[in-house]
Amino acid sequence: MTFFTVVIRGLWRRPLRTGLTLAGISIGIAAVVALVGMSRGFEKGWQVGLKARGTDIVVSNRGGSLTPKPFDASVRDRIAGLPHIAATCNLLVEVTSVEESDLMILSAREWGGFAWNNLELVSGRMPRDATEEAAVLGQTAAEVLKKKIGDPIQIETKKLTVVGIVKGGALVEDGSVILSLPLLQGIIGAPNQINAIDIGVTPSTTEQQIKELTRQIEQLVPEVRAVTVSEHLSHNEGFRLVKAMSWGTSLLAILVGVLGVMNTMLMTVFERTHEICVLLAVGWTRGRIMRMILYESALLGLFGGVIGVAIGAIGVQVLSATPAIKGLLQPDLSIALLGLSVVIAIAVGIISGLYPAWRSSRLNPSQALQAG
Amino acid sequence: MSAAELADQLDVVSQGSALIRTKLEVRSLAGAKRVLQLQIKQRRTKTTSDLAYQVLWPDEHKGEAVILHQAHGVAKGSIIVPQQPVRAIKASQMNEGLFDSDLSYQDAVENFFAWKKQALVGSETINGVNCQILESKPDSSSVSIYAKVRSWIDPQRFVPMRIEKYSSSGELVRRIDVTRVARDEKHHPIPASLTVHGPRKNSVTEFNGARIDQDVQFTDADFTAAGVLK
Repeated sequence: MTFFTVVIRGLWRRPLRTGLTLAGISIGIAAVVALVGMSRGFEKGWQVGLKARGTDIVVSNRGGSLTPKPFDASVRDRIAGLPHIAATCNLLVEVTSVEESDLMILSAREWGGFAWNNLELVSGRMPRDATEEAAVLGQTAAEVLKKKIGDPIQIETKKLTVVGIVKGGALVEDGSVILSLPLLQGIIGAPNQINAIDIGVTPSTTEQQIKELTRQIEQLVPEVRAVTVSEHLSHNEGFRLVKAMSWGTSLLAILVGVLGVMNTMLMTVFERTHEICVLLAVGWTRGRIMRMILYESALLGLFGGVIGVAIGAIGVQVLSATPAIKGLLQPDLSIALLGLSVVIAIAVGIISGLYPAWRSSRLNPSQALQAG
Repeated sequence: MSAAELADQLDVVSQGSALIRTKLEVRSLAGAKRVLQLQIKQRRTKTTSDLAYQVLWPDEHKGEAVILHQAHGVAKGSIIVPQQPVRAIKASQMNEGLFDSDLSYQDAVENFFAWKKQALVGSETINGVNCQILESKPDSSSVSIYAKVRSWIDPQRFVPMRIEKYSSSGELVRRIDVTRVARDEKHHPIPASLTVHGPRKNSVTEFNGARIDQDVQFTDADFTAAGVLK
């Protein structure tokens, strides 16, 4: 009988208990995969959306919730002349309830701005001008709102007509209702108000020059924050909260997993006192006994991790297809996240096994005789 | 903080004017769902409340509205349906549902934090928030269909997390749970989503707030049938 056979047999001694412990770890790891995958997907979706629009820098108000606070559109005129700026586009983005949908992105863009350029018409047409009471819908938005060309769409107090369905090259774009900036400003009664300026830099601009440009913008207009696309969400309070909550919830679930494995391994040590003492009596070192217990708990972690990753990945796909989420975010289930989740599970197993392993190594061979 | 001080603080927070847009969803236990997009004009002072609820969507209900007034504890209102005469809401109808939801006209307009009889009757954790339970009873100067109202108040944010309304026989008539607290443009916490369980038991109503513009200047005409139909 090899060392590993002893380890595996230890786990199979109580299959129901092992199974329940695996379920505990799996649920914890599934929570990590689902919550972190969702928050990373949200971040990635916005970044891809911004890049698809040709945006290099986003200028918005400091702080704010998921959508930044509005500011005056004249800010653009103050920064447009800075070096390396090739194009600017004023935006007003709102996340709001539209008809039967709880959350829908309203993306209002300056008429003629470069943010319109990446939109590829799937059917219908673009609005004729900035004042036409019309909107185009991303493919997912059209599906969620059950709209086709010519249908009316109620935006706040105004009824617009859907004139086009577009493909935006990113989930955020595909999940948006896109309309002209003056139209939305008029609907919500906020003339001259925007909450973002997209900036495209000249092709030869280096990363360092982009960074310098963001500094210059903030110096020129202290009330706004200019960030590169990759930094955009990390400066958003709402997103930071979502990220912190997803990791916080995941850590709680992992803690429950740690306690479950520790309980199982302690029970194992108590039940196998006789066996462990016999192994010590026949010459097993205390270190080998500790390794046996740690291998068992690490294996529990590994199996729990693999099952948890599978449950999390399937669960998150199901969740992202629900009407409340569909079109708003696509989970980012990268190999790195799945691998990290399994590593966390193995670490959970090892950490949980440390105390039981130490307890087992303190047993005395003579206890085998007392235990019978 | 005493019960009277807490109620007074909540009363102060609720005062002012605002233009609100919200989604109202009535779900029956049988699975049917009815959704309305509403615009609410709201103007509250220490002693009066004016409210105008207007349906924006769907088209078949567009233009329907409910106007509610309360002054010195007495509530009245009217129902507006396009192309039909305006109907007054009688005192006996104040318990009926706003747009046939689980929230009554009385619930919408009544400000029980302004009642004189207030008492703290305990504390309880609601959705992880340690709340103080405030019990409000109408006095002779307030006309209400309820004998008492219990509200679970988050004392840090001055937001009710749950409201329970009881009849004179002590029966729970309505329960309102705040499911989402957002911050307004002044960064003050406000209840943004509500779930209402009413007496009819076979349905539940959700209000999901989408936008609030505060300190909006309204005229008295905004709270009349002519003003709403304009």
